[in-house]
Amino acid sequence: MDHLADVSQSQTQISHLALDIGGSLIKLVYFCRYDDSCRDDGDELRSQNDSLCSKSDNSKPVLEGRLHFAKFETSKINDCLDFLRSMKLRLGGFHDRTAPSSDKIFIKATGGGAYKFADLFKEKLGVSLDKEDEMECLVTGANFLLKAVHQEAFTYLDGQKEFVQIDPNDLYPYLLVNIGSGVSMIKVDGDGKFERVSGTSLGGGTFWGLGRLLTKCKNFDELLELSHRGNNRILDMLVGDIYGGTDYAKIGLSSTTIASSFGKAISESKELGDYQPEDVSRSLLRMISNNIGQISYLNALRFGLKRIFFAGFFIRGHAYTMDTISVAVNFWSKGEAKAMFLRHEGFLGTLGAFMSYEKQCLDGLTVHKMQQKFPISVSSAGDNIYCSLNSNSDENGSIECTVYGT
Amino acid sequence: MAGLNGDPILGIDDKIENLQYNNNNNSNEAIDKEGLVGIGEESSTCYKNNQGGEKDMAGNSIHRSGSRPQLDLSKAEIQGNSEERDPTILLPNQSDDISHLALDIGGSLIKLVYFSRHEDQSVEDKRKKTVKERLGITNGNRRSYPVLGGRLHFVKFETSKLNECLDFISSKQLHCGRIDSHLWNSEPPANENAVIKATGGGAYKFADLFKERLGVSIEKEDEMDCLVAGANFLLKAIRHEAFTHMEGHKEFVQIDHNDLFPYLLVNVGSGVSIIKVDGDGKFQRVSGTNVGGGTYWGLGRLLTKCNSFDELLELSQRGDNRTIDMLVGDIYGGMDYSKIGLSASTIASSFGKAISDKKELEDYRPEDISLSLLRMISYNIGQISYLNALRFGLKRIFFGGFFIRGHAYTMDTISFAVQFWSKGEAQAMFLRHEGFLGALGAFMSYQKHGLDDLMVHHLVERFPMGAPYTGGRIHGPPLGDLNEKISWMEKFVQKGTEITAPVPMAPPGTTGLGGFEVPSSRGATLRSDASALNIGVLHLVPTLEVFPLLANPKMYEPNTIDLSDHKELEYWFTVLSEHSPDLVDKAVASEGGTDDAKRRGDAFARAFSAHLARLMEEPAAYGKLGLANLLELREECLREFQFHDAYRSIKQRENEASLAVLPDLLLELDHMDEEARLLTLIEGVLAANIFDWGSRACVDLYHKGTIIEIYRMSRNKMQRPWRVDDFDLFKERMLGSDGKKPKPHKRALLFVDNSGADVVLGMLPLARELLRRGTEVVLVANSLPALNDVTAMELPDIVAEAAKHCDVLRRAAEAGGLLVDAMTNTEDGSKGNSSSVPLMVVENGCGSPCIDLRQVSSELAAAAKCADLVILEGMGRSLHTNFNARFKCEALKLAMVKNQRLAEKLIQGKIYDCVCRYEPAPAS
Repeated sequence: MDHLADVSQSQTQISHLALDIGGSLIKLVYFCRYDDSCRDDGDELRSQNDSLCSKSDNSKPVLEGRLHFAKFETSKINDCLDFLRSMKLRLGGFHDRTAPSSDKIFIKATGGGAYKFADLFKEKLGVSLDKEDEMECLVTGANFLLKAVHQEAFTYLDGQKEFVQIDPNDLYPYLLVNIGSGVSMIKVDGDGKFERVSGTSLGGGTFWGLGRLLTKCKNFDELLELSHRGNNRILDMLVGDIYGGTDYAKIGLSSTTIASSFGKAISESKELGDYQPEDVSRSLLRMISNNIGQISYLNALRFGLKRIFFAGFFIRGHAYTMDTISVAVNFWSKGEAKAMFLRHEGFLGTLGAFMSYEKQCLDGLTVHKMQQKFPISVSSAGDNIYCSLNSNSDENGSIECTVYGT
Repeated sequence: MAGLNGDPILGIDDKIENLQYNNNNNSNEAIDKEGLVGIGEESSTCYKNNQGGEKDMAGNSIHRSGSRPQLDLSKAEIQGNSEERDPTILLPNQSDDISHLALDIGGSLIKLVYFSRHEDQSVEDKRKKTVKERLGITNGNRRSYPVLGGRLHFVKFETSKLNECLDFISSKQLHCGRIDSHLWNSEPPANENAVIKATGGGAYKFADLFKERLGVSIEKEDEMDCLVAGANFLLKAIRHEAFTHMEGHKEFVQIDHNDLFPYLLVNVGSGVSIIKVDGDGKFQRVSGTNVGGGTYWGLGRLLTKCNSFDELLELSQRGDNRTIDMLVGDIYGGMDYSKIGLSASTIASSFGKAISDKKELEDYRPEDISLSLLRMISYNIGQISYLNALRFGLKRIFFGGFFIRGHAYTMDTISFAVQFWSKGEAQAMFLRHEGFLGALGAFMSYQKHGLDDLMVHHLVERFPMGAPYTGGRIHGPPLGDLNEKISWMEKFVQKGTEITAPVPMAPPGTTGLGGFEVPSSRGATLRSDASALNIGVLHLVPTLEVFPLLANPKMYEPNTIDLSDHKELEYWFTVLSEHSPDLVDKAVASEGGTDDAKRRGDAFARAFSAHLARLMEEPAAYGKLGLANLLELREECLREFQFHDAYRSIKQRENEASLAVLPDLLLELDHMDEEARLLTLIEGVLAANIFDWGSRACVDLYHKGTIIEIYRMSRNKMQRPWRVDDFDLFKERMLGSDGKKPKPHKRALLFVDNSGADVVLGMLPLARELLRRGTEVVLVANSLPALNDVTAMELPDIVAEAAKHCDVLRRAAEAGGLLVDAMTNTEDGSKGNSSSVPLMVVENGCGSPCIDLRQVSSELAAAAKCADLVILEGMGRSLHTNFNARFKCEALKLAMVKNQRLAEKLIQGKIYDCVCRYEPAPAS
């Protein structure tokens, strides 16, 4: 694992770490201080040469460095634990303040796994997971990204990615659709002001789960990759299949509209083995993306929200997924609403958890220069699954930023 | 001449048929009975406006142009003697065949709706004719054009087995526009112009095949138009069409016609269409989803190797979705995420657990996969539907389409989703004819099918007799004639073990989200065929009307006993089952005890018990089940196996015996004073009511003595006060008090019960008393035989016999036109003898021991117009049904309770207790 070498070579110290342990994936955000800024991580007041930090509470140390993003499959949680161990976590700053005498070390974590794997972390790493509410983390993360990171949100239609500049003062309300294993739909009205208004159980886990059963793919990304080469017309029953090739124009259905996902698989002459995994994957992806797009739009409509942001690991910057969701939103809203995506879509919860350190020991996280760099060292942690998807991997770029420590 | 004919919808071949009929007046008249009748001049105004694309909702006058077949009325002439009612109309220029078949050819299933004319056994007798003249009734008197009496049948096939469907159509010659193919002995004519209405995508796709195989053209009707037309028709015309289904519990919803719109119609076929309906022909497809029935079946096939949709559904009943779905508890280590209302058992991600590296497809149980799939899709449909209902502020969501198939778990999950997402604000409702909306709509698009203004009371839903157990599912050859039906029953019985007992349902589950709880009522009852049609055959009887004297027709419920109480249901099933062998003996004897009769008797017994078993399993299979329905089922079932009157000889014998002693009784009565006589008359009615072949207790009695002995014994036992005793009130109404004589009633309707002593020694003397007081009397009797109940056909003869010894009866019967035969002998203008009020006989429109007053014959309705007293006699009509009925006029309910359980339940009494309930007319 290259990144491990990189990290250790550069003597980078991970000092602030937050986790989002979902049903399928574990997402990590961690902060690495620049070597030159942490010569002495004690109480030295740093002289700052840039003025991007709006806060200047001189009683606190200011740490400059980078936020890094990484992910692992939840089923391979041991890889994650190994990674963390190898990173030589410096967690000194995070002792439980309420019990200063104890040796308890806390890591902020969110997602269901924060509960499920708490014991494992304690046992393997000797750290306690400080659980943060999942929705709160998602929203905090999204708000942070949308306000602080330049070119975070973008639309994607017909292969065209277009960044959307969002005025931080005109951000709310919006609908945040987080597509993890399942899907949560959250109406966000402000910082810390939100409500989970809906959701669906047809999410990333469904795509992957059904996909595994149907195609023998070994992982999510392989399955996504397959869908690129598939043709959904093989399995989906299109309007044209029912109407003998003609449109049902009266109600605005073209002959290529999917009338019934997998509707053609009812054919008695074919078995599962007779279908190409590519086609299966494609149909599956369209089914789920379409459905999420539709339900999201209906919920946006219900609350009169014009903006819908899609995030979560299901999307993964995957063009076809984004395209399908965009088309669905566009179709159902008759062009009124637009689907938007976030570059750091998979890391909202983790970021939110990371931000929650503020309450205890960090006063602020400020992004420098709005600058993102391609991940040289750490982004592909946990697996080599990104090698074929380099072009899509920029969502894992690290962010240069400043953290005020205690 | 005759009638008939021209049933405009039905088109052309009628000509031929008419010609045949014209050679045989009797059969011709028979057809006439349901009021089929000729075409009125205004027929052109009733064209159904069902334009495909046109959204002109307002006007109904637009004629379809072009290809649509229309009746060519030019040169129409009345055939035969035009003085007859309902003459045949010959339409020499009618060029197109108009079929009685409509199809909905979907991606997975083909649905057929076809019409067959009633096989009418009754004859337009003289009694009827005079009654009609007297009451001024014409057949179908509210219409200027004919509506056929007949049956609507519902059948489905898998689209992949299109050939079976074509064979079926061809074997029944449904495409030929013939209604009663049994009359058709030759090859159908090769009519190049025959047209069948069809909808669904397959109407396009298979048009050529239909042309090639059947020689008919498919005329395509717009799918959405059809769906909506079908749904509107069902919701308005079928009483127990819509129901809710929550946690295994089915409840019918009464929908007010005037408050039907707007609603959301969700049709779940291969895909899902979501339609907002604002009125007849006014609708908009507002949404839909591609995750529908085809997805369930398609994915299900790929994942489980199931061979049919039904098999897949069946599997789901035994599944456990927790092995495949990722639940909130799986993510949170068994804890709830209660902050946002997600319980641990809520599904977070459908199939989310299948991502496990350790398991392959083969390691999962197909049952679990099917269940996960079903829940995923059902919840999703429920959710999207609710969101759309919300968007338009609609409270009612009706789910239809073949995905649902009356499958309890599917309905539960959809209901759950709607309930969950709406927080109880919206309700999912289902339609019993769910799969046939499109086909019905296509059927309605035939011009002048006459269905569009049918009212609820014109339709009687009956048990599908052809194949009781599967409820009409067609596999193999269609059951055409009686012989096939019997063979089928014989075969059926060989695998009779398949009749399953109901499976108790699990207690209700809790709520979840994303979310959904593991529902508890998984599967409800296990049926060997989850897709059995939950519908019967619709009998269209255009002459039926609501009994005009009902105080509140909307609130009226005929059945006194609620069979939704399972114990009650079981009891009556036992009673009916135990009585069955005796009934079979009688029935076989009534047909001469031949081998053929025995074979039919066996088949009847099997069919009847299969029906009972099916209803035990699913009491609401054909709508809300009441005791009246059960009793009618038995009669219908007898008729189906051509036992038209099992008690014929018994009735005859008892009538004769009773008539023989009537003169003595009348003499005895005439020697009493008015007050004693009235009491004796009422006692007599109650005492005579003991003769009831429908009652086990009474059947035993028959072995103990002659009719007259029993009658006298019974009357002597009459000790007031009776268990329900309003006699004094009634007496005061009749005789007055303080010497004031009240005005006699203008007209009394006497609903009679059994033959023999009951009618002869009980009701006739009472009728005679009323006549003597100047009250017109209308005897209301069954149209068709039921047990030993007297029928409207038999009454005139009984009255005539009685009249031989009684002047009062004779003059009244003459005045009422009942003694037609007698009069023809002495006809000399004595008709002018109007000194007597008339005694009349009308049929009630039914063939059951009970009566549902929402659906009575038009002649009864007409007779009721100026009646001010209703007398209901006997258990069936005054206790089992109508005990709680309220009338606009005075009512007297008389019965002897010959059933211990009923006595306890209804009047806290015991067997042989009597009910004499008098209800004055409501004040206003």
